[in-house]
Amino acid sequence: MAVETHATTEAAGHAAASGGLPQFDFQWWPGQIVWVLLVFIVLFIYMRAFAVPKLGGAIEARDAKIEGDLADARKLKDQADATAQEAAAERAQGRAAAQKLANDARAAARGEIDKALAAEEARLAETAAKADAAINTARDQAMTNVATIAQETAAAIVAKLTGKAASAAELTAVRARG
Amino acid sequence: MAQQPAIDPMHQFLIHKIVDIPPVNIGGFMLDLSITNSVFTLLVGTAFLMVFIALTAQGRIVPNRAQASVEALYGIIDNVLVRPIIGAGGKPYIPFVFTIFMLILTLNLMSVVLAIGNIGGQEWTFAVTSQLAVTATLALITFLSVFILGFVKHGPKFLGLFWVPGMGVVGGALMVIIEMISYFVRPITLAMRLFGNILGGHVVMSLFGSFVVGLGIFALGGGLATLGWIGSGLSLTMIVALTGLELVVAVLQAFVFAALTVVYLNEVVNFGHGH
Repeated sequence: MAVETHATTEAAGHAAASGGLPQFDFQWWPGQIVWVLLVFIVLFIYMRAFAVPKLGGAIEARDAKIEGDLADARKLKDQADATAQEAAAERAQGRAAAQKLANDARAAARGEIDKALAAEEARLAETAAKADAAINTARDQAMTNVATIAQETAAAIVAKLTGKAASAAELTAVRARG
Repeated sequence: MAQQPAIDPMHQFLIHKIVDIPPVNIGGFMLDLSITNSVFTLLVGTAFLMVFIALTAQGRIVPNRAQASVEALYGIIDNVLVRPIIGAGGKPYIPFVFTIFMLILTLNLMSVVLAIGNIGGQEWTFAVTSQLAVTATLALITFLSVFILGFVKHGPKFLGLFWVPGMGVVGGALMVIIEMISYFVRPITLAMRLFGNILGGHVVMSLFGSFVVGLGIFALGGGLATLGWIGSGLSLTMIVALTGLELVVAVLQAFVFAALTVVYLNEVVNFGHGH
């Protein structure tokens, strides 16, 4: 209560003295100015030495961490991409090799089959030729035999009809004419 | 108490001593460093601010809510003001701007949030930033720091700030006068803007507060005076609305003060680039 009455009397006194805003009661200025200066200096040192480094440091560390994590993720993704690409290339290479192997095998098999076929065909052709030759020989021989038989038959007929044997020259001449 | 005038919105700005300290004699000038209600609130606010930062600035990579709140305040200075206005060269000045901003913000908010008035024969709330002595000191700290920094960084060349090129000799000389006036009026506008905003807001709130009580007491008389309840109720509504407005003003004025500080700093840091 003492403070209150003190304040009230003072208020009355100063309001009368300045007749306006209490802020223009200059008796309180020096004390406030000095205190504000002191507080400001202390607070500034506090902010500079502790608050700002702590706050700014935390924010910077966070940004750096996020940046670093993103960079790591990016690097890992690149690595994964490279690995995937490599795998794809390997797979393509494998497929090409398999294709080549299959083609080669197919070609080799076809070659062998062709060779075997050719050999068989040659053998068959040879056999056929031989058979043809044998047939021809046999036919020729047969034809010769027919001629001989015919000549002999003719000689026998002539001998029977005429009673005298025809000479060999006559028979040959007839045969040549016939 | 009852005999006091019902409406005295200036009463809240009156300064009185809480702890008497004998004046110090400095070169014939008696400096009275007594703890007044103004100084007391200033000290409490500053102590609260320092404790708040000490508790919340934990430097975690993943911040909790408390740390996020103080980092948001820091972000206002760093991301909203210093970086966009000054650029990368503004980093060394963050502590200064942050100090100004946080001090004014704390004092402004305290004057609204802790507006619990008179309890136990003692005023428990005081708007420190409604004291012209305080805002003028803060304005001069800002202005002189920036002005001196200009000469430290650029030497006498810094006076080129007042020279507007392309105006000729006569025009240039005329512009120097205008530029100097507009430059040296800065601490006055800085101080008056903050002082005026906080003063005005508190006067209006106090007025409506007196209406609530005054019209309420009047309405107790009965009869036609009962209509006083309407005025009393409306005034109470106004106080609620004004408190919200004053919260905005409290934050905004701290921001404006800090923003202007950054703008002034920018002239010094980027001197010769922007002209």
